[in-house]
Amino acid sequence: MQWESVIPNAVSGYAADAQTASLQMDSDAFAGFYQRSSRPLWAYLARVSGDPALADDLTQESYVRFLCATSPPLLQEGEVASKRYLFRIATNLLRDHWRRPHSASIEEIPEEFFVAKAHPEQADSEAVLTPALARMRPRDRQILWLAHAEGYSHHEIAEVTGLASASIRILLFRARRKIASLLREQEKAGFVSNPERRWQP
Amino acid sequence: MTFRICSHEAEIKELMKCGHWPEACSAELRTHAAACRSCSDLLLLEQAFRKARAATAVSASLPPHGAIWWRAQLRRRNAAVERIGRPILGAEIFALSIAVILASGLIVSQGRHGLQWLTRLGEWMTGISQSEAFRLDMLLPSSGWMYLIPILAVLALLSGVVLYLSSEKH
Repeated sequence: MQWESVIPNAVSGYAADAQTASLQMDSDAFAGFYQRSSRPLWAYLARVSGDPALADDLTQESYVRFLCATSPPLLQEGEVASKRYLFRIATNLLRDHWRRPHSASIEEIPEEFFVAKAHPEQADSEAVLTPALARMRPRDRQILWLAHAEGYSHHEIAEVTGLASASIRILLFRARRKIASLLREQEKAGFVSNPERRWQP
Repeated sequence: MTFRICSHEAEIKELMKCGHWPEACSAELRTHAAACRSCSDLLLLEQAFRKARAATAVSASLPPHGAIWWRAQLRRRNAAVERIGRPILGAEIFALSIAVILASGLIVSQGRHGLQWLTRLGEWMTGISQSEAFRLDMLLPSSGWMYLIPILAVLALLSGVVLYLSSEKH
């Protein structure tokens, strides 16, 4: 019997123990995780970037990077941590995309952009939110989506975006005020039916 | 702009998360939400964003998970090959530099000896053209195998490096 087996962690400490415990995600586990997280991730990327084709690319790239990551979240931390890690990768990819200088010609834009939307609910939600989101800064769009669509806390948004938690509180407050006033402007202009009317006393 | 968050926000958010808003909440809270700017903003945004999230998620056309899994495996393998290839590249550079040093040393030493072996090679060639028997001792300098061995070694080393590089590119 070797002495290392008698005294565990004597040589490598707790790091090695944690490494052995952090089992890599297998194909079946990934299938389940992908099914549950891919649509919210795509929605986040599509709404924040305003480009569904870009969202397609970045969604795939995010998952590939997630699977290739050398230090993904441990399984013990749960799917919530994995999803947050995935959103962080996607956010970084989106930031990299915005930093790159690029130009798109009309030929490069997919036909889906010019086709009428099949889902009436989607068309309705786009009519409500898209014009207001388009007038917000990209970072504000990210924060707003993570807070109100994904329901993340300030701490979680800070983890995803890489900003300080205290900054998130202020940025979110300002962004919320701005987009709310934009939505109300649209409402006054007659584009939106007021969703609050049905519960107002 | 004053930075003020209403104390009821967390409660309203939790009620919305559970689907209890507006039916399963108190009339007081509803009255408050209608009057409070912070809470009404929160309600407006929560409803708009959740609706947008649901509608957008439906329209996503995503590839099957197997394709992404396969791409990740491929990338992992390529990264591993690249990691393994790094020391090999170092060895290639080292071998090439040794070969170059040896070759240049040989050229210098031959230059000092007045390229005697070239004249002997010429004699050997003429010997062959006159259909004489092969005589290796004609090619050799007075000191015997001293020059031939390094030449052959360098040639072997260089050809090995060239072969390896060409196969690597292929």
